[in-house]
Amino acid sequence: MLLKDKVAIVTGGTRGIGRAIVFELVQNGAKVLFTYLQSDESAGIILDEIKELRGDAEAMKADVRLYDDAKKVAEETINKFGKIDILVNNAGITKDKALMMMEPAEWLDVINTNLTGYFNMSKACIVAMMKQKSGIIINISSISGIVGMPRQVNYSSAKAGEIGLTKSLAKEVASYGIRVNAVAPGFIETDMTKDLKSKEEIVKMIPAGRFGKPEEVAKVVTFLACERSGYINGQVIKVDGGLAI
Amino acid sequence: MQAIDNKILENELRAIIAEIVEIEPEKVTLNANFVEDLGMDSMMALEILASVEKKYKLRIPEENLTKLTSLGKAVELTNKFINK
Repeated sequence: MLLKDKVAIVTGGTRGIGRAIVFELVQNGAKVLFTYLQSDESAGIILDEIKELRGDAEAMKADVRLYDDAKKVAEETINKFGKIDILVNNAGITKDKALMMMEPAEWLDVINTNLTGYFNMSKACIVAMMKQKSGIIINISSISGIVGMPRQVNYSSAKAGEIGLTKSLAKEVASYGIRVNAVAPGFIETDMTKDLKSKEEIVKMIPAGRFGKPEEVAKVVTFLACERSGYINGQVIKVDGGLAI
Repeated sequence: MQAIDNKILENELRAIIAEIVEIEPEKVTLNANFVEDLGMDSMMALEILASVEKKYKLRIPEENLTKLTSLGKAVELTNKFINK
């Protein structure tokens, strides 16, 4: 149990990588509050599954684009579990389109959900962590933010911004015993990638010869959330099968 | 919690602040600015907030951190939350 008695928040916990992170943290002994925006049903199913595993979790509908919602998530976590040890910023969306076709609203929505959402949640949790002089923040970025991807200027910009946020905040709060790191997944088998048209072409570019699994990202998150990574701070760990070497 | 006499509260807060900022208590006058006059940084401000919360068993929302600029303001703020 790497995370026994730890309390974690995971945003966007009902699907894809976020869902895998929720299960991974619970199975390592953490109490988890996860947020979701759309499906009450999916959240309920996950809570039932966690109960069967004898895990402790709570789900909360929240829109991380709104700072007030982020604050409520932090408050609810403290009310329910007494503290916040780990924040995993994961909630994200894509609206892929060539720049010449991209509407300003599609740019803003992706920036607000991904980048501003991470800011909102980090700000909402940081004082509680500073007061307890410990804390872990893990930002799920993407290799799209490192190498850039066509038709993703909005998403790549947000994901690169999250890396800047990670490094800047890591330096700012290190003296409070808080570590801030990012994980940059490559192509992972999730809803976000299931409709990609050129899957075979993409696989050819990945040295590992396959897409990654959400669990393979989640295990890195657990590593970054526990003592085993105690001296790692402000880093971006690529989990991409060697794609962005 | 019952209201505390302002003078007593002032002296108690002065002691907390002087200890955290590591200066003589008499330098912590009611109007001395924490940052400009006493050289306080954000970490110290947070420690003061946490110490006040602990001592008086209060919860002061962090939005109030920016209002914590002098001993006088600290007394005002603490009293406001004690009386809540």
